[in-house]
Amino acid sequence: MLKVSARKRVGDFTLDASWSSDHPIVALVGPSGSGKTLTLQCIAGLIAPDAGHIVSAGRVLFDAEAQINLRPQRRCVGYVFQGYALFPHMTVLQNVAFARPRTPRFGATTSATPPDRTVEIIERLGLTSLSARYPTDLSGGQQQRVALARALATDPDVLLLDEPLSALDAPLRRELCGELSQTLHDWGKIAVLVTHDLSEAYQIADTVVLYEHGQTTGAVAKNDLLWNPSSERVAKLIGARNILRAPIAEPPMDSIVLNWRGGRLEAARSPSHQLHATVGEMLAFFVRPEYVRLIRKNRPVTDGLRQTNLFRGEIVGERDEGTTWALFFRLDAPGTPSQGHYDLEIEIPKLVYERLNIPHDRHWEVSIHPGSIQVLPG
Amino acid sequence: MDWFPVWLSLRVALLATLLTVIAGVPIAWFIGRRSFPGRDLVSAALLTPLVLPPTVLGYYLLMVIGARGPIGHTLNQWGIEFAFTWRAAVLAAAVGSFPLLIKTAQSGFESIDRRLEQAAQTLGHSDWSIFWNVSIPLAWRSILAGTVLAFCKALGDFGITLMVAGDIPGRTQTLPLAIYDHVQANQLDHANALSLLSVAIVVLLMLAFGRIARLRY
Amino acid sequence: MQTRRHLQRLIAALALICWHSGSATGQAPASILVFAAADLGPPFKRIVPDYERQTNVKVTLVLGSTGTLTQQIRNGAPADVFFAANESYVQQLSAESLTLDQTRSLYARGQIVSVTLKSSALRVETLNDLAKAEVKHIAIANPTHAPYGLAAKQSLEAAGLWTAVANKLVYGENVQQAVQFVRSGSVEAGIVARSVADTPDLSWTLVDERLHAPLNQTAVVLARTKQPHASTDFITFVNGIQGRLVMRQFGFLLPGEF
Repeated sequence: MLKVSARKRVGDFTLDASWSSDHPIVALVGPSGSGKTLTLQCIAGLIAPDAGHIVSAGRVLFDAEAQINLRPQRRCVGYVFQGYALFPHMTVLQNVAFARPRTPRFGATTSATPPDRTVEIIERLGLTSLSARYPTDLSGGQQQRVALARALATDPDVLLLDEPLSALDAPLRRELCGELSQTLHDWGKIAVLVTHDLSEAYQIADTVVLYEHGQTTGAVAKNDLLWNPSSERVAKLIGARNILRAPIAEPPMDSIVLNWRGGRLEAARSPSHQLHATVGEMLAFFVRPEYVRLIRKNRPVTDGLRQTNLFRGEIVGERDEGTTWALFFRLDAPGTPSQGHYDLEIEIPKLVYERLNIPHDRHWEVSIHPGSIQVLPG
Repeated sequence: MDWFPVWLSLRVALLATLLTVIAGVPIAWFIGRRSFPGRDLVSAALLTPLVLPPTVLGYYLLMVIGARGPIGHTLNQWGIEFAFTWRAAVLAAAVGSFPLLIKTAQSGFESIDRRLEQAAQTLGHSDWSIFWNVSIPLAWRSILAGTVLAFCKALGDFGITLMVAGDIPGRTQTLPLAIYDHVQANQLDHANALSLLSVAIVVLLMLAFGRIARLRY
Repeated sequence: MQTRRHLQRLIAALALICWHSGSATGQAPASILVFAAADLGPPFKRIVPDYERQTNVKVTLVLGSTGTLTQQIRNGAPADVFFAANESYVQQLSAESLTLDQTRSLYARGQIVSVTLKSSALRVETLNDLAKAEVKHIAIANPTHAPYGLAAKQSLEAAGLWTAVANKLVYGENVQQAVQFVRSGSVEAGIVARSVADTPDLSWTLVDERLHAPLNQTAVVLARTKQPHASTDFITFVNGIQGRLVMRQFGFLLPGEF
């Protein structure tokens, strides 16, 4: 169990982080400058918060009111720094052996790590053949493993990892994502992972804390975060597109019926969220671009579901995203479009884009699957 | 030719450099690595030996360690001569070379990635251990450069030494003072020989430094 | 770890140097340290070896301006005997109880000369010649702490030349440095002690001694000496037959003769 509540002013920036997690791996996700690294530094004791308290594995590491502020050496917190911060003047073996594991009495440290333990950790992380090398002779992935080995050698209660994969190039990152997740789950204690990449967090972590301008959401299970965001703000933070608003058209039953741009839009009801809304009340929701379907003109619609949420309109813009295309679709309905010059962003595979001859055929009918409409709690 | 000034100068410069390094490296680390109120002021104050004329600096030193100065007087009562002995020459050379070591070593410490020292903290190491095992090994090139600079300055010090140690042949007459005296006495060949020797010592030292600085760690 | 081996070697070499020079500083059993005004350089280079030969006492000579030496003595310089270029500095030290007053003695009266390089076309017959345009710089000892410098200044003032030459003056720390400026050709002329100007490469003209306060050179044994006998003995030697002979050769007027 890790409980963090920390307020810290640094110049114009104010961190106000408050979350707790008892899942093995929690990811802190947010844009750069949102206070994620600062939070790690507060947990590790490298920076003292102005107010708050930090509790790890039943030990109070920091408590402003009780004037408790353990030194970093006594916190039993392992830290994998961004860029790894390996000692350039020590070999891999020396780097790992430099860690001082705690003795049975909390926080007190003994001399260097015993050789057999160092060797065991080096072996466990597959570094044996590299143990005589200096960090500058290692690849990024190898450096990351050494940093991990060194942090684990102190036998910490909590492991902090600051952008552990950002220094690597994309293919290697994808490969090491799984490896890192495996290592951390095998280790079994609490790890805090800082990343600006939501998909990375999704692959490695169990719960996610979102950061924005120093503010945090609580820790959320990763599935809930993507498939059941708790608010419009969270939806924005996870990068949801097509966040829209519309009034409720009918009393909510099995589904929610909205009146959007003069048309009837039916959304499936989420089982986990309570909804106490009355007719006419504005609701926020978002539509996943990849779930909007273009309807082929030459084929009759047979699928009944496709007949719900039908809208006619025109493609007013597009963007090549490599394997997919983003299309900006404006409804034929009168009035101002809901997102500037368009109403919906639609994502289709490149193959479909070519097959449907989108460059020359701009007028389409689309259907939105009710299950892909995510209603956001007020 | 009298070789005494050469040996005396080497000894004085070595001891002065030793003194400077022992006192200066921790100070440079403290200034380079810690923030405390008045840090810039202290940093600037340590440079005064570079700014003050050597004779003025020597005069102030003499006010402290001379027979009438507080420290000199006390030492005299314990039967220790300080002013106008080789010990004073060591102090003079150390004071003059102190800023060079401090500035060079300080910039060495400042250029260490702060995360390396923080990493050592999270790995359970005390400040003392971090100083020895992380800061010093990573800044050693700058420390060595500062040490060589300090040695050269100590070897060449004239003004401060003249003021606090005098120019007593066979006792406190260092290489620069001997050269000065030879010039005054119009013994230019002696002066030339000693000057050449000074330059040779420094050139040798620089060559050695160049070799060592190419080593990795 | 290669560095460690290099460091060990370096430290060994350094220790050797310290050891070596340490063993070279041992002092001879009977030795005195003589602080003397810079004008005494040339005569003492002859007197000191004579004295050492006859007495087996080692004499270490330190030359400087009388004012500088006085200041050093005040601050604890380990001198045994002080040969000043005038009386007043010895009086100051005496007032501070730093001298053995019964040993105080007048040993010579100094003279000043105007001096030029023999190899230069310039001739300075009288002090007035120093005002000539060819004389761009004039070297004298620093009048604030060197008695010979003060005498030079007084003479220029008495001759009514001070304002004419004031911006030509170059100060040496002592009279020996001032004459060195002339000898090296850096300045055209100087006013210095006769004793340091009397060499084959220089030509000199005596300055009328009525133009300045007399340079009554006074010697004294210092209170802190551990060699009072040898020190007193050395003053007596300078004042004795052999000493007077050398001093006279270098143009000093001797006690009883002025």
